[in-house]
Amino acid sequence: MAVLRPLDKLPTLNSGVLLLVGSDEALQQKLAEAILQEKKDFNISIHLAASLPLPSERDHLRPRIDLVVFMIDIKSKYSLKNVEASLAHVDANFFLGKVCFLVTGVGRVNACSIETNAICQLGKAYCSPVLFCELELEGIRVATAQRLLRMLQICAGHIPGVSALSFVSLMRNSDDD
Amino acid sequence: MRPRRNSRTPKQPLQARHKSQTDLSAWRKGRRTDSEKSLQHHQSADDQKYDSQEGSLEQAFSYLGKVQGRVSLKKNSVLQKHLDAVESTALKQGLPPEGFEILLKAALSGRFADTVNTRLLKSLIPASVIPQDSVVSAVSLLCVGKCSGNIQVLFLKWLIAMFDFIDRKEHINALYGFFFFFLQDEKLCPYVCHVLYLLTRKENVKPFRIRQLLDLQAKMGMQSHLQALLSLYKLFCPEQVTITLPGKMKTYFKNSEGPWKAAITAVRQRNQGLSPLSQAAFLGTSQPQSRKRKWNAQLVIPASSSYTNHLEEVRGKNRLCLYGTKVSFPVEQLQTFPQLLQNIHRLEFPSQMGSVLTNPLLLHYMNCVKDESIYLRLYYWMGQMLQEECTWCVVDNPNEEEFKSFLESIYKAECFLQEGFSACEEFLYKTLPLWDGVCCRSEVLRLVSWIPPSNFSDIKSYLYDPLAQLFFTSSVYFKCSVLESLRQLLQNWLNCTVIQVDSDFSSSNTTLSGLVNVVAELVHFVGWISTAGLRLENNSTLLMYFILDFYGTVCDMYLKYNLPLLIMPPAGVFYPALLSMDSANLNQLCHIMYRYRTNLVAAKENELSKKSILQFKFSNQTYQEYNQYITAMVGCLWTSSAFQKDIHPQGLCMDDKLLCKTGVKELKNSFNIVYHPAMMGYAVQFLKEICPDDTTFNFKLIKGKKWDWYLEYLYSQGLKGLKVFIESSISRVSQASRSKAGNVET
Repeated sequence: MAVLRPLDKLPTLNSGVLLLVGSDEALQQKLAEAILQEKKDFNISIHLAASLPLPSERDHLRPRIDLVVFMIDIKSKYSLKNVEASLAHVDANFFLGKVCFLVTGVGRVNACSIETNAICQLGKAYCSPVLFCELELEGIRVATAQRLLRMLQICAGHIPGVSALSFVSLMRNSDDD
Repeated sequence: MRPRRNSRTPKQPLQARHKSQTDLSAWRKGRRTDSEKSLQHHQSADDQKYDSQEGSLEQAFSYLGKVQGRVSLKKNSVLQKHLDAVESTALKQGLPPEGFEILLKAALSGRFADTVNTRLLKSLIPASVIPQDSVVSAVSLLCVGKCSGNIQVLFLKWLIAMFDFIDRKEHINALYGFFFFFLQDEKLCPYVCHVLYLLTRKENVKPFRIRQLLDLQAKMGMQSHLQALLSLYKLFCPEQVTITLPGKMKTYFKNSEGPWKAAITAVRQRNQGLSPLSQAAFLGTSQPQSRKRKWNAQLVIPASSSYTNHLEEVRGKNRLCLYGTKVSFPVEQLQTFPQLLQNIHRLEFPSQMGSVLTNPLLLHYMNCVKDESIYLRLYYWMGQMLQEECTWCVVDNPNEEEFKSFLESIYKAECFLQEGFSACEEFLYKTLPLWDGVCCRSEVLRLVSWIPPSNFSDIKSYLYDPLAQLFFTSSVYFKCSVLESLRQLLQNWLNCTVIQVDSDFSSSNTTLSGLVNVVAELVHFVGWISTAGLRLENNSTLLMYFILDFYGTVCDMYLKYNLPLLIMPPAGVFYPALLSMDSANLNQLCHIMYRYRTNLVAAKENELSKKSILQFKFSNQTYQEYNQYITAMVGCLWTSSAFQKDIHPQGLCMDDKLLCKTGVKELKNSFNIVYHPAMMGYAVQFLKEICPDDTTFNFKLIKGKKWDWYLEYLYSQGLKGLKVFIESSISRVSQASRSKAGNVET
């Protein structure tokens, strides 16, 4: 099984590649569309996957991935398990700022089946930021798309003087250390 | 006799649906004949529909009131019909006050099966108010215990959800002991606790009740609902409840509005479009437009708010005496400030605490009565509302505008009282991590500015961390608004320190040092996010403007607010501002540095003369940092020696060899107030004015007398910050370098 590595391919000029990993396909699709609708000054390609590892047969066609977003549905324990299983197939170098956990479904607090604390622990363990959102609402979906786009821009190295690693250290909670 | 709970055959619901459909067609027919009869042309079709509905509703009431013995739903199409009539009316327009007694009696008497009782209770939605007596008789039926446990629970839930709609509460409060007895029932306990929480007044708190509650807690363990009640008791009688309770609870009670919430909203929205008459019957006295939803509805003082009803007073003033010693003034009649002063001793707060928020007179009153229970009631209500209606935490409430105006009125009340509400603080702490930063942005950030200065670790993990995450991932505009609200927050905290120092200095000495620490942490936090933000936004001029605005408050903390604290901006803010392309920012930086200087000089003087009220000394580091910055500034603006003289470790000192490689001729005088990128525009304009014929723009011409003219020109262009800076710092600080500057000047 192939491990996903951040630096084993050459980057493409003026582009950013996002990988969305999550078990809810419809939601993934919606988010991807929202991201693509944003105004941007570089090419974005978004890859969707239900889980990792990615199939190895088309690996040579896949571009270098700049940011991996793991989507966790707060209402489904399975989605968390799925993400935890997928994390094993990500190279450690990715966690130097190129991974983000996106927790969806916070609009139904009563239907929660995962504790937010568990997810925060996960974020802490993998040194990666955790964003919360409710993708069912259009306004929040757009806002989330913009936030992810900003992170992608940094991870793809389009903002001079700010690297993915320095950015993720900004995003770290102060009580993590 | 039928079994209590019908075992449902698959056929049954089908049948029922069929029935209701035939009923509906019959009802429609009835409506048509009705409308033919009524020839009043001004009535709209809607009104007619309601007329006919009223007819069937009356029939239903008389049937449900009279029916004797146990009746089953399955075989009784008449019951089915009446039940449908009640339900459809309730959902469409709510039930009239007189219906509640009948329906509550029917539901709790145990004459019907539980399915019928449940349907009846669920359809008990008021069109205007719920008469108190109907609730009293319902409670008496509850005590008889004819209905099943589930129905008891449902009734209590209904009571909690509808509590604010009950016209008066005196008689219900008289039943306090009965409710209290129900605490023993394990299943009812949480709901009874909630009802008691809503009912409790100071006179209800009795030693034996406290003992019973403590026993109950010992038996059942730490239950949040018991804790809620105990904490309320403790608030009323702190000397009697001696156990310690956890300070802040997230939620005491589960939300029990469930089945009625949507219906209430729907009914309110529908009723709004009706004739003015029906609107008058509807809760509230004025401003119908702001009554669309529950929270806004509660912002208006309802006519039935306090237990002294308006109507009652009109009927006969002597009746008021029946209520005993307390003759209170109805708040809805409170219109003017003199009225408030005359009646301040006999005001009773409305049962809908939300109405206080938009009423300045009541806010005045609240401010001066220092009654903790008022705040508790308000916070309880506000916390609940915020949590339930928060548009980014609750998917089913997409009504952003309404929530916005609610937040807005909270903010205004906070400004009026000059203090934050703790319910609001808790709400922010809880929901900021979930916020997207877009929804109700300005309202939320304004509320942030009223968070009270509390202990640092709380603020750090609940406010700074989520705010920083949003800050770094959001647009430059969001960054600016965050900085603006943090500036406001700092301002509010500083005002608060001034008040504390003024009122009672000796005892608050410890808290003052605590406050200094909290303020210092805030300033450091802003310094940190500003540095990172500037880098992320490529030194955006707009962002810089907001950052400097924040430091505009920071630099005056010692003189203006008497706070023994001065913190210089970090190098990541200072140098981008100094080398900014924008003259407004440079001008502001100059002004800030001038204020720092004034504050530091004053501090030094106080220190030397031992006059200082605050036994405090700024650390040498602050002076040192200031001097380093001043050296860099004088170098950049006056002596062209910034690259050689700057001694700040993160400054712009450069090796001579490196400078030579730039190929700039006459390095020694090529970076000053004339050549500075933010100033060059002025220099060009100036040259155009003094020698209009010369098009070579020879900046070297600006020297000697022309240098002074140039300065005058700059001052006349509104660069006041630059003026005060140059007048205060250049001649003094750079005495030594002045001789060197002489070759520029002369």
